[in-house]
Amino acid sequence: MPVEKGIRLGALTLAGLKKSGGLEAALKGFERFYIGPEFCENLLGLSLCAEAAWLLKRGRKVCLLTPLLSEKGLGLLDSVFGKLLQLVGRGELDPAGLEVTVNDFGAVELARKRRLPFTLNAGRLLHDNVFDDTGKDDITVHNGLALDFFRGLGIRRFELSTLGVRPSVNFARGAVFGFDRRSFRITLHYPYLNLTSTRTCPVGMRDTPPMEAARGVDCARECLVSSFELAHPSIREKLLVRGNTVYLDFPQKFYASEKDLARLNVDRLVYSPFP
Amino acid sequence: MKIVSCFSDLKELEPLAGAGADEFYTAIAALPAFSVGFLPGRDLAPAIKTAHALGKKIALAVNAIHFPATLKQLAAAEKRIRGLDRLGMDAFIFSNPYLLGLFSGRRKLPGAKLHLSSVQPVFNSLSAAFFSRFGVSRLILPNQLSPYEARKILAFCRARGIETEIFDYRFFGCAYINGRCQLHRPDHYTLKSAILEGSLCRINAPAGGLVKLRTLDLPARARELPRLVKRLEARFTCGGSPRLSNAAAFFDFFSSGVRYLKYGTRHDPSGVKVKKVAELRRMLDLAEKLSAELPRAEARRAFVAELSGWNGGGF
Repeated sequence: MPVEKGIRLGALTLAGLKKSGGLEAALKGFERFYIGPEFCENLLGLSLCAEAAWLLKRGRKVCLLTPLLSEKGLGLLDSVFGKLLQLVGRGELDPAGLEVTVNDFGAVELARKRRLPFTLNAGRLLHDNVFDDTGKDDITVHNGLALDFFRGLGIRRFELSTLGVRPSVNFARGAVFGFDRRSFRITLHYPYLNLTSTRTCPVGMRDTPPMEAARGVDCARECLVSSFELAHPSIREKLLVRGNTVYLDFPQKFYASEKDLARLNVDRLVYSPFP
Repeated sequence: MKIVSCFSDLKELEPLAGAGADEFYTAIAALPAFSVGFLPGRDLAPAIKTAHALGKKIALAVNAIHFPATLKQLAAAEKRIRGLDRLGMDAFIFSNPYLLGLFSGRRKLPGAKLHLSSVQPVFNSLSAAFFSRFGVSRLILPNQLSPYEARKILAFCRARGIETEIFDYRFFGCAYINGRCQLHRPDHYTLKSAILEGSLCRINAPAGGLVKLRTLDLPARARELPRLVKRLEARFTCGGSPRLSNAAAFFDFFSSGVRYLKYGTRHDPSGVKVKKVAELRRMLDLAEKLSAELPRAEARRAFVAELSGWNGGGF
């Protein structure tokens, strides 16, 4: 089974990628484009729909990443879903080429309400409900019931980050844990592992005066300006900060061939040029 | 509003009730729970009896998001939970939907209720609707949610008879998404020295030279960089990340009808637990008194002014 190669644009837009001169190479080198804000609702916008349609027309597949959602984000995502459905209705977007990755159960509920014709995946902020990958070098499926629960939602694909090493897995012991390893697939993001995320963005959110209650998380999209490297005096690695998420960089390739990835149920690799 | 207090020792129950706790919750090592501070499993049955003798309800947190379990281990956990239900446990706090599913619908526990942990954070009303289908009787709201953002969730819960609970803003305030944070254990990074309070969130060093530019994506906004670097350094060292929960936010939740206020640092020493619950009680009494005596806006102002003078209580 060949491994599909994807690219996660992150803070980059297609226009930005084109301006940087990287668009043609990306179109040649990657079968699927991961667009949309994975970790922050403030970046949700209708321009994502036009990007998805443009990429699909050029024969690329698309996965729309969606973040944790407050009520505001839910409204924004509802508009995005509405616009995508319009494009499908007008024949301008092939639903078979688009997937949606959710990181909030509210997004699952919204997709159900809207009867989205797109495949849903569980993102890097939801996969903990099925996998324990907090150990140094192992990924464990909790139990068959956890997979069954997501299957009931139409979700069979889970997105995880590289751990920088070849992990040990319990997939071959599925019978003991009550699952069949053929029942799920893993998309592996590299080279950045998202260590933690917050809603109250350390880069963009202003402090709330002590006498006031913040209405929400407002910013000027400072995350788009730059990512930062943080030299934490207590650890050897550099922490990387992009907006509300802290990452570690694991550039090491831990597999020798695609067969190694198949043993880990990984049939998609997604490269992020930036954290 | 009622106070829900954690405990991890049988001997804490009476003093905590005396300090103002209205309900209790705990965790045991044999069942998956978030964070540390466990009651010995053998003390659970006596704890249920003692809590009920004090006229209080008691809940058990089984709220770790990660619970890898073989079929045998899962059957044992289910048996243990059903046994505790028969003993009179009033509620179980879950976060993983697969565990919620194990005790929902036709498999519903005959006695105990289900609470949704903040470790499975609900930030919007559709997420609340999603989890309401498990039959949860209470949503424990994450502290990274403002009262303004919570309005539709609270309205949904009110309409469905689902209780809501918040954390005390002074004794619990992690800026990161609970249950999804990997800053606390050196699994994916290598320690050079001990880290402050077991987490990378704060750097035990003065600001300056810690943060540098990695990728400049928008050159047109490069002039913002010095300000952003300064902000990041302050927030990762002494300042901490911005927070949505403060005295004003608490008052707004209080007057929105949230019925439960949680203190949940199970690993605190017994004496500290009692002092903190007494602080919660003082704060609630103040909010209730001001709300009874003054129009809402004035009560809020007076409450925030009073709490802004709170000096940390010596904790």
